[in-house]
Amino acid sequence: MTDDKDVLRDVWFGRIPTCFTLYQDEITEREAEPYYLLLPRVSYLTLVTDKVKKHFQKALRQEDVSEIWFEYEGTPLKWHYPIGLLFDLLASSSALPWNITVHFKSFPEKDLLHCPSKDAVEAHFMSCMKEADALKHKSQVINEMQKKDHKQLWMGLQNDRFDQFWAINRKLMEYPPEENGFRYIPFRIYQKLGLSTLYYPGTMQTKVGLELRERDLPASESGLCSTFQHYES
Amino acid sequence: MEDEFFGEKCFQYYCAEFIKHSQQIGDGWEWKTAKDCSDGYMCKTEFQIKNGTTPSHLGTPASVHTGFPTEENLELPVDDSEVMESAAASKVIKYEYHVLYSCSYQVPVLYFRASFLDGKPLSLTDIWEGVHECYKTRLLQGPWDTITQQEHPILGQPFFVLHPCKTNEFMTAVLKHPQKINRNVNYITSWLSIMGPVVGLNLPLSYAKATSQDE
Repeated sequence: MTDDKDVLRDVWFGRIPTCFTLYQDEITEREAEPYYLLLPRVSYLTLVTDKVKKHFQKALRQEDVSEIWFEYEGTPLKWHYPIGLLFDLLASSSALPWNITVHFKSFPEKDLLHCPSKDAVEAHFMSCMKEADALKHKSQVINEMQKKDHKQLWMGLQNDRFDQFWAINRKLMEYPPEENGFRYIPFRIYQKLGLSTLYYPGTMQTKVGLELRERDLPASESGLCSTFQHYES
Repeated sequence: MEDEFFGEKCFQYYCAEFIKHSQQIGDGWEWKTAKDCSDGYMCKTEFQIKNGTTPSHLGTPASVHTGFPTEENLELPVDDSEVMESAAASKVIKYEYHVLYSCSYQVPVLYFRASFLDGKPLSLTDIWEGVHECYKTRLLQGPWDTITQQEHPILGQPFFVLHPCKTNEFMTAVLKHPQKINRNVNYITSWLSIMGPVVGLNLPLSYAKATSQDE
Protein backbone atom coordinates (compact mmCIF):
# COMPACT_ATOMS: atom_id res chain seq x y z
CA MET A 1 0.00 0.00 0.00
CA THR A 2 2.90 2.39 0.58
CA ASP A 3 3.65 2.33 -3.17
CA ASP A 4 0.14 3.51 -3.83
CA LYS A 5 0.37 6.45 -1.41
CA ASP A 6 0.29 9.03 -4.21
CA VAL A 7 -2.75 7.44 -5.80
CA LEU A 8 -4.49 7.19 -2.45
CA ARG A 9 -3.82 10.86 -1.77
CA ASP A 10 -5.07 11.92 -5.20
CA VAL A 11 -8.28 9.97 -4.72
CA TRP A 12 -8.81 11.33 -1.23
CA PHE A 13 -8.19 14.97 -2.14
CA GLY A 14 -10.28 14.95 -5.32
CA ARG A 15 -12.68 17.91 -5.43
CA ILE A 16 -15.64 18.98 -7.55
CA PRO A 17 -16.38 22.69 -7.96
CA THR A 18 -20.08 23.10 -7.26
CA CYS A 19 -22.60 25.93 -7.44
CA PHE A 20 -25.64 25.64 -5.15
CA THR A 21 -28.77 27.58 -6.12
CA LEU A 22 -32.01 27.78 -4.17
CA TYR A 23 -35.03 26.24 -5.90
CA GLN A 24 -37.03 29.06 -7.46
CA ASP A 25 -40.35 28.05 -5.84
CA GLU A 26 -39.02 28.23 -2.29
CA ILE A 27 -40.64 31.17 -0.48
CA THR A 28 -37.96 33.65 0.47
CA GLU A 29 -37.89 36.65 2.73
CA ARG A 30 -34.71 37.94 1.21
CA GLU A 31 -32.44 37.36 -1.76
CA ALA A 32 -30.55 34.07 -1.87
CA GLU A 33 -27.32 34.33 -3.83
CA PRO A 34 -25.84 31.13 -5.30
CA TYR A 35 -23.26 29.50 -3.06
CA TYR A 36 -19.98 28.07 -4.40
CA LEU A 37 -18.12 25.19 -2.77
CA LEU A 38 -15.44 22.61 -3.58
CA LEU A 39 -16.93 19.24 -2.67
CA PRO A 40 -14.74 16.29 -1.65
CA ARG A 41 -15.39 13.33 -3.94
CA VAL A 42 -15.01 10.77 -1.16
CA SER A 43 -17.47 12.40 1.24
CA TYR A 44 -21.24 12.74 1.48
CA LEU A 45 -23.45 15.73 0.62
CA THR A 46 -25.10 16.11 4.01
CA LEU A 47 -21.73 15.93 5.73
CA VAL A 48 -20.09 18.82 3.90
CA THR A 49 -22.93 21.29 3.27
CA ASP A 50 -23.52 22.88 6.69
CA LYS A 51 -22.46 26.27 5.30
CA VAL A 52 -24.75 25.84 2.30
CA LYS A 53 -27.67 25.10 4.61
CA LYS A 54 -26.94 28.09 6.86
CA HIS A 55 -26.59 30.38 3.85
CA PHE A 56 -29.95 29.50 2.31
CA GLN A 57 -31.84 29.21 5.59
CA LYS A 58 -31.12 32.89 6.16
CA ALA A 59 -33.27 33.67 3.15
CA LEU A 60 -36.25 31.62 4.33
CA ARG A 61 -38.97 32.35 6.86
CA GLN A 62 -38.43 30.54 10.14
CA GLU A 63 -41.54 28.39 9.64
CA ASP A 64 -40.35 27.19 6.23
CA VAL A 65 -37.07 25.80 7.51
CA SER A 66 -37.21 22.04 7.10
CA GLU A 67 -34.92 19.17 6.06
CA ILE A 68 -32.60 20.22 3.23
CA TRP A 69 -32.34 18.09 0.10
CA PHE A 70 -30.50 18.42 -3.19
CA GLU A 71 -31.43 17.87 -6.79
CA TYR A 72 -29.63 17.92 -10.14
CA GLU A 73 -31.66 18.43 -13.34
CA GLY A 74 -34.78 17.05 -11.70
CA THR A 75 -33.11 14.04 -10.06
CA PRO A 76 -33.10 14.05 -6.24
CA LEU A 77 -29.52 13.42 -5.09
CA LYS A 78 -29.03 10.44 -2.82
CA TRP A 79 -26.85 11.78 -0.03
CA HIS A 80 -25.84 8.25 0.90
CA TYR A 81 -23.92 7.88 -2.37
CA PRO A 82 -20.42 9.38 -2.31
CA ILE A 83 -20.28 12.82 -3.94
CA GLY A 84 -17.82 11.71 -6.61
CA LEU A 85 -20.15 8.86 -7.56
CA LEU A 86 -23.14 11.18 -7.92
CA PHE A 87 -21.12 13.53 -10.12
CA ASP A 88 -19.72 10.75 -12.32
CA LEU A 89 -23.16 9.22 -12.78
CA LEU A 90 -25.13 12.36 -13.45
CA ALA A 91 -22.99 15.31 -14.45
CA SER A 92 -19.57 14.25 -15.67
CA SER A 93 -20.32 15.19 -19.27
CA SER A 94 -21.54 18.68 -18.36
CA ALA A 95 -19.39 21.77 -17.97
CA LEU A 96 -18.17 22.73 -14.52
CA PRO A 97 -19.21 23.96 -12.03
CA TRP A 98 -21.69 21.27 -11.07
CA ASN A 99 -25.02 23.07 -10.65
CA ILE A 100 -27.03 21.67 -7.76
CA THR A 101 -30.46 22.95 -6.71
CA VAL A 102 -31.25 23.26 -3.01
CA HIS A 103 -34.72 22.42 -1.65
CA PHE A 104 -36.41 22.72 1.73
CA LYS A 105 -39.97 21.77 0.77
CA SER A 106 -41.67 18.60 -0.48
CA PHE A 107 -39.06 16.11 0.65
CA PRO A 108 -39.20 13.18 -1.84
CA GLU A 109 -39.97 10.38 0.63
CA LYS A 110 -39.99 7.67 -2.02
CA ASP A 111 -36.54 8.55 -3.38
CA LEU A 112 -34.35 9.83 -0.59
CA LEU A 113 -33.30 8.57 2.80
CA HIS A 114 -33.78 11.09 5.58
CA CYS A 115 -30.69 12.55 7.16
CA PRO A 116 -31.81 13.82 10.56
CA SER A 117 -28.25 14.35 11.85
CA LYS A 118 -24.58 13.56 11.25
CA ASP A 119 -25.22 10.33 13.17
CA ALA A 120 -27.18 9.07 10.16
CA VAL A 121 -24.19 9.66 7.86
CA GLU A 122 -21.84 7.99 10.34
CA ALA A 123 -24.18 4.99 10.69
CA HIS A 124 -24.38 4.61 6.91
CA PHE A 125 -20.63 4.96 6.40
CA MET A 126 -19.75 2.47 9.15
CA SER A 127 -22.37 0.06 7.84
CA CYS A 128 -20.67 0.15 4.40
CA MET A 129 -17.24 -0.42 5.98
CA LYS A 130 -18.58 -3.37 7.97
CA GLU A 131 -20.20 -4.96 4.97
CA ALA A 132 -17.00 -4.59 2.96
CA ASP A 133 -15.01 -6.27 5.74
CA ALA A 134 -17.56 -9.09 5.91
CA LEU A 135 -16.50 -9.89 2.36
CA LYS A 136 -12.76 -9.27 2.81
CA HIS A 137 -12.09 -10.79 6.22
CA LYS A 138 -15.38 -12.39 7.40
CA SER A 139 -15.68 -9.25 9.55
CA GLN A 140 -12.73 -10.35 11.72
CA VAL A 141 -10.60 -7.24 11.28
CA ILE A 142 -13.35 -4.68 11.80
CA ASN A 143 -14.88 -6.56 14.74
CA GLU A 144 -11.52 -6.87 16.49
CA MET A 145 -11.07 -3.10 16.34
CA GLN A 146 -12.00 -1.03 19.35
CA LYS A 147 -14.78 1.52 19.27
CA LYS A 148 -12.19 4.28 19.24
CA ASP A 149 -10.72 2.89 16.01
CA HIS A 150 -14.13 2.98 14.37
CA LYS A 151 -14.50 6.54 15.61
CA GLN A 152 -11.13 7.44 14.15
CA LEU A 153 -12.16 6.15 10.71
CA TRP A 154 -15.25 8.27 10.84
CA MET A 155 -13.54 11.38 12.21
CA GLY A 156 -10.85 11.05 9.56
CA LEU A 157 -13.50 11.19 6.86
CA GLN A 158 -15.56 13.88 8.55
CA ASN A 159 -12.57 16.18 9.14
CA ASP A 160 -10.78 15.42 5.87
CA ARG A 161 -7.77 13.93 7.66
CA PHE A 162 -6.06 11.51 5.28
CA ASP A 163 -3.44 10.25 7.75
CA GLN A 164 -5.93 9.84 10.58
CA PHE A 165 -8.21 7.82 8.31
CA TRP A 166 -5.54 5.61 6.79
CA ALA A 167 -3.91 4.84 10.14
CA ILE A 168 -6.94 2.60 10.72
CA ASN A 169 -8.00 1.82 7.16
CA ARG A 170 -4.66 0.24 6.34
CA LYS A 171 -5.53 -2.60 8.74
CA LEU A 172 -8.65 -3.22 6.67
CA MET A 173 -6.49 -3.36 3.56
CA GLU A 174 -4.12 -6.04 4.85
CA TYR A 175 -4.29 -9.79 4.51
CA PRO A 176 -2.14 -12.60 5.96
CA PRO A 177 0.99 -13.24 3.86
CA GLU A 178 0.03 -16.88 3.29
CA GLU A 179 -3.19 -15.80 1.53
CA ASN A 180 -2.95 -14.32 -1.95
CA GLY A 181 -5.46 -11.62 -1.19
CA PHE A 182 -8.80 -10.92 0.42
CA ARG A 183 -11.40 -13.66 0.66
CA TYR A 184 -13.57 -11.59 -1.67
CA ILE A 185 -13.06 -8.10 -3.11
CA PRO A 186 -16.09 -5.90 -2.47
CA PHE A 187 -17.12 -3.50 -5.17
CA ARG A 188 -20.28 -1.93 -6.51
CA ILE A 189 -21.21 -1.19 -10.09
CA TYR A 190 -23.56 1.74 -10.61
CA GLN A 191 -25.35 1.79 -13.90
CA LYS A 192 -27.38 4.60 -15.31
CA LEU A 193 -30.58 3.37 -16.94
CA GLY A 194 -32.66 6.32 -18.04
CA LEU A 195 -33.33 8.44 -14.97
CA SER A 196 -32.96 5.76 -12.32
CA THR A 197 -29.78 4.35 -10.96
CA LEU A 198 -29.31 0.77 -9.87
CA TYR A 199 -26.39 -0.84 -8.19
CA TYR A 200 -25.23 -4.41 -8.25
CA PRO A 201 -23.10 -5.39 -5.32
CA GLY A 202 -20.54 -7.77 -6.64
CA THR A 203 -17.68 -9.91 -5.56
CA MET A 204 -14.70 -11.31 -7.34
CA GLN A 205 -13.12 -14.61 -6.56
CA THR A 206 -9.59 -13.60 -5.79
CA LYS A 207 -8.18 -17.10 -5.93
CA VAL A 208 -9.36 -17.96 -9.41
CA GLY A 209 -8.80 -14.56 -10.97
CA LEU A 210 -11.37 -12.11 -12.24
CA GLU A 211 -14.72 -13.83 -12.38
CA LEU A 212 -17.92 -11.91 -11.68
CA ARG A 213 -20.51 -13.87 -9.81
CA GLU A 214 -23.50 -15.43 -11.54
CA ARG A 215 -25.67 -12.31 -11.34
CA ASP A 216 -26.22 -11.16 -14.92
CA LEU A 217 -25.91 -7.48 -15.60
CA PRO A 218 -28.66 -6.29 -17.96
CA ALA A 219 -27.60 -4.56 -21.14
CA SER A 220 -27.33 -0.88 -20.52
CA GLU A 221 -28.82 1.81 -22.72
CA SER A 222 -26.47 4.55 -21.74
CA GLY A 223 -23.32 2.63 -21.11
CA LEU A 224 -21.77 1.03 -18.10
CA CYS A 225 -20.09 3.18 -15.54
CA SER A 226 -18.18 1.42 -12.83
CA THR A 227 -16.96 3.28 -9.85
CA PHE A 228 -14.57 1.61 -7.48
CA GLN A 229 -15.10 2.93 -4.02
CA HIS A 230 -11.44 2.97 -3.19
CA TYR A 231 -11.75 3.34 0.53
CA GLU A 232 -14.14 0.40 0.73
CA SER A 233 -11.90 -2.04 -1.05
CA MET B 1 -19.43 -18.49 -3.04
CA GLU B 2 -17.85 -21.54 -1.49
CA ASP B 3 -18.29 -22.76 2.09
CA GLU B 4 -21.67 -21.15 2.65
CA PHE B 5 -23.26 -21.67 6.03
CA PHE B 6 -26.56 -20.34 4.79
CA GLY B 7 -26.43 -19.81 1.04
CA GLU B 8 -28.91 -18.13 -1.25
CA LYS B 9 -30.42 -21.43 -2.43
CA CYS B 10 -30.94 -22.42 1.20
CA PHE B 11 -32.59 -19.07 1.81
CA GLN B 12 -34.97 -19.54 -1.11
CA TYR B 13 -35.81 -23.08 -0.03
CA TYR B 14 -36.71 -22.14 3.53
CA CYS B 15 -38.71 -19.12 2.33
CA ALA B 16 -40.68 -21.39 0.00
CA GLU B 17 -41.47 -23.76 2.88
CA PHE B 18 -42.38 -20.81 5.07
CA ILE B 19 -44.73 -19.42 2.42
CA LYS B 20 -46.39 -22.81 1.98
CA HIS B 21 -47.49 -22.68 5.60
CA SER B 22 -48.40 -19.02 5.34
CA GLN B 23 -50.77 -19.88 2.50
CA GLN B 24 -52.34 -22.66 4.59
CA ILE B 25 -53.19 -20.29 7.42
CA GLY B 26 -53.82 -17.19 5.30
CA ASP B 27 -50.95 -15.26 6.85
CA GLY B 28 -50.34 -13.19 3.70
CA TRP B 29 -46.65 -13.80 2.85
CA GLU B 30 -45.71 -13.76 -0.82
CA TRP B 31 -42.59 -14.32 -2.88
CA LYS B 32 -41.58 -11.55 -5.23
CA THR B 33 -38.89 -11.77 -7.91
CA ALA B 34 -36.76 -8.88 -9.06
CA LYS B 35 -36.88 -8.01 -12.75
CA ASP B 36 -34.07 -9.34 -14.93
CA CYS B 37 -32.57 -11.70 -12.38
CA SER B 38 -33.30 -14.65 -10.19
CA ASP B 39 -33.13 -12.63 -6.98
CA GLY B 40 -36.24 -12.59 -4.92
CA TYR B 41 -37.64 -11.75 -1.54
CA MET B 42 -40.53 -12.55 0.75
CA CYS B 43 -43.00 -9.84 1.63
CA LYS B 44 -46.11 -9.17 3.61
CA THR B 45 -48.31 -6.14 4.26
CA GLU B 46 -50.26 -5.76 7.44
CA PHE B 47 -52.13 -3.07 9.33
CA GLN B 48 -51.44 -2.33 12.94
CA ILE B 49 -53.18 -0.08 15.40
CA LYS B 50 -51.09 2.19 17.56
CA ASN B 51 -52.59 4.00 20.53
CA GLY B 52 -52.74 7.74 20.02
CA THR B 53 -50.09 10.27 21.06
CA THR B 54 -48.84 8.75 24.30
CA PRO B 55 -45.69 10.51 25.51
CA SER B 56 -42.42 8.78 24.78
CA HIS B 57 -40.92 6.75 27.65
CA LEU B 58 -37.45 6.84 26.19
CA GLY B 59 -35.89 9.15 28.74
CA THR B 60 -33.01 11.35 27.72
CA PRO B 61 -29.74 9.47 27.34
CA ALA B 62 -27.47 11.90 25.56
CA SER B 63 -26.45 9.59 22.75
CA VAL B 64 -30.05 8.95 21.81
CA HIS B 65 -31.05 12.59 21.93
CA THR B 66 -28.42 13.80 19.51
CA GLY B 67 -29.57 11.16 17.07
CA PHE B 68 -33.22 11.94 17.07
CA PRO B 69 -34.71 13.96 14.23
CA THR B 70 -35.74 17.45 15.24
CA GLU B 71 -38.20 18.06 12.42
CA GLU B 72 -41.74 16.82 11.76
CA ASN B 73 -44.57 14.66 12.99
CA LEU B 74 -45.70 16.27 16.22
CA GLU B 75 -49.39 16.83 16.28
CA LEU B 76 -50.10 19.87 18.41
CA PRO B 77 -53.71 20.07 19.63
CA VAL B 78 -55.61 23.26 18.92
CA ASP B 79 -57.77 23.27 22.00
CA ASP B 80 -58.69 21.16 25.01
CA SER B 81 -61.39 19.12 23.32
CA GLU B 82 -58.91 18.03 20.72
CA VAL B 83 -56.47 16.98 23.42
CA MET B 84 -59.09 14.66 24.86
CA GLU B 85 -59.78 13.19 21.44
CA SER B 86 -56.19 12.61 20.42
CA ALA B 87 -55.42 10.94 23.73
CA ALA B 88 -58.09 8.34 23.02
CA ALA B 89 -57.71 8.12 19.25
CA SER B 90 -55.70 5.28 17.69
CA LYS B 91 -53.91 5.40 14.40
CA VAL B 92 -53.84 2.72 11.78
CA ILE B 93 -50.39 2.14 10.36
CA LYS B 94 -49.62 0.14 7.26
CA TYR B 95 -46.49 -2.01 7.60
CA GLU B 96 -44.73 -3.65 4.70
CA TYR B 97 -42.17 -6.30 5.72
CA HIS B 98 -39.60 -7.66 3.27
CA VAL B 99 -37.20 -10.53 3.87
CA LEU B 100 -34.12 -10.38 1.63
CA TYR B 101 -30.91 -12.35 1.44
CA SER B 102 -27.59 -10.62 2.12
CA CYS B 103 -24.74 -12.13 0.11
CA SER B 104 -22.20 -10.19 2.15
CA TYR B 105 -23.32 -11.56 5.52
CA GLN B 106 -24.90 -14.77 4.17
CA VAL B 107 -27.98 -14.26 6.31
CA PRO B 108 -31.54 -13.07 5.77
CA VAL B 109 -32.25 -9.39 6.47
CA LEU B 110 -35.53 -7.81 7.55
CA TYR B 111 -36.51 -4.59 5.77
CA PHE B 112 -39.75 -2.72 6.41
CA ARG B 113 -41.57 0.51 5.80
CA ALA B 114 -44.47 2.04 7.63
CA SER B 115 -46.96 4.78 6.82
CA PHE B 116 -50.21 6.19 8.10
CA LEU B 117 -53.32 5.63 6.03
CA ASP B 118 -52.97 9.03 4.39
CA GLY B 119 -49.63 7.88 2.97
CA LYS B 120 -47.45 9.90 5.33
CA PRO B 121 -44.45 7.75 6.24
CA LEU B 122 -43.27 7.15 9.80
CA SER B 123 -39.98 8.74 10.78
CA LEU B 124 -37.00 6.96 12.29
CA THR B 125 -37.94 8.44 15.67
CA ASP B 126 -41.45 7.01 15.32
CA ILE B 127 -39.97 3.60 14.59
CA TRP B 128 -37.51 3.71 17.50
CA GLU B 129 -40.28 4.86 19.86
CA GLY B 130 -42.53 2.06 18.61
CA VAL B 131 -40.07 -0.70 19.47
CA HIS B 132 -41.53 -3.00 22.11
CA GLU B 133 -40.55 -2.23 25.70
CA CYS B 134 -38.63 -5.45 26.20
CA TYR B 135 -36.24 -4.57 23.34
CA LYS B 136 -35.96 -0.88 24.20
CA THR B 137 -32.92 -1.23 26.42
CA ARG B 138 -30.96 -3.03 23.73
CA LEU B 139 -32.09 -0.46 21.16
CA LEU B 140 -31.01 2.45 23.33
CA GLN B 141 -27.52 0.99 23.70
CA GLY B 142 -26.99 1.72 20.04
CA PRO B 143 -30.02 2.79 18.02
CA TRP B 144 -27.87 3.75 15.05
CA ASP B 145 -26.38 0.23 14.99
CA THR B 146 -29.76 -1.45 15.22
CA ILE B 147 -32.51 0.13 13.12
CA THR B 148 -31.79 2.71 10.42
CA GLN B 149 -33.11 3.79 7.06
CA GLN B 150 -31.37 2.26 4.05
CA GLU B 151 -31.90 1.79 0.35
CA HIS B 152 -33.78 -1.44 -0.44
CA PRO B 153 -31.26 -3.52 -2.45
CA ILE B 154 -33.79 -4.56 -5.09
CA LEU B 155 -36.39 -1.78 -5.18
CA GLY B 156 -33.93 1.07 -4.58
CA GLN B 157 -36.40 2.84 -2.27
CA PRO B 158 -35.98 3.97 1.34
CA PHE B 159 -36.80 1.24 3.85
CA PHE B 160 -36.02 0.71 7.50
CA VAL B 161 -33.73 -2.21 8.23
CA LEU B 162 -32.75 -4.31 11.23
CA HIS B 163 -28.96 -4.53 11.03
CA PRO B 164 -27.81 -8.06 10.19
CA CYS B 165 -24.23 -8.10 11.46
CA LYS B 166 -25.07 -10.07 14.63
CA THR B 167 -27.48 -12.49 12.97
CA ASN B 168 -24.93 -15.22 12.32
CA GLU B 169 -23.93 -15.15 15.99
CA PHE B 170 -27.34 -15.78 17.46
CA MET B 171 -28.54 -18.10 14.71
CA THR B 172 -25.57 -20.38 15.27
CA ALA B 173 -26.57 -20.57 18.92
CA VAL B 174 -30.23 -21.14 18.06
CA LEU B 175 -29.46 -23.95 15.62
CA LYS B 176 -26.86 -25.74 17.75
CA HIS B 177 -29.25 -27.76 19.89
CA PRO B 178 -31.72 -28.92 17.22
CA GLN B 179 -28.79 -29.91 14.98
CA LYS B 180 -27.40 -32.06 17.79
CA ILE B 181 -30.62 -33.99 18.12
CA ASN B 182 -31.17 -34.09 14.34
CA ARG B 183 -34.30 -32.07 14.45
CA ASN B 184 -35.64 -30.21 11.41
CA VAL B 185 -35.56 -26.48 11.73
CA ASN B 186 -36.74 -23.93 9.23
CA TYR B 187 -34.00 -21.28 9.45
CA ILE B 188 -36.34 -18.54 8.23
CA THR B 189 -39.05 -19.41 10.75
CA SER B 190 -36.59 -19.38 13.65
CA TRP B 191 -34.88 -16.22 12.48
CA LEU B 192 -38.08 -14.30 11.79
CA SER B 193 -39.61 -15.33 15.11
CA ILE B 194 -36.62 -13.64 16.79
CA MET B 195 -36.25 -10.52 14.64
CA GLY B 196 -39.86 -9.83 13.75
CA PRO B 197 -41.27 -8.96 17.19
CA VAL B 198 -38.65 -6.22 17.63
CA VAL B 199 -40.40 -4.30 14.87
CA GLY B 200 -43.97 -5.35 15.43
CA LEU B 201 -44.09 -8.50 13.35
CA ASN B 202 -45.37 -11.54 15.23
CA LEU B 203 -45.53 -15.08 13.92
CA PRO B 204 -48.45 -17.36 14.76
CA LEU B 205 -47.25 -20.42 16.69
CA SER B 206 -48.45 -22.79 14.00
CA TYR B 207 -45.28 -22.02 12.02
CA ALA B 208 -43.24 -23.86 14.62
CA LYS B 209 -45.55 -26.85 14.54
CA ALA B 210 -45.47 -26.87 10.73
CA THR B 211 -41.71 -27.50 10.75
CA SER B 212 -41.84 -30.37 13.21
CA GLN B 213 -44.67 -32.00 11.25
CA ASP B 214 -42.23 -32.56 8.39
CA GLU B 215 -40.26 -35.08 10.46
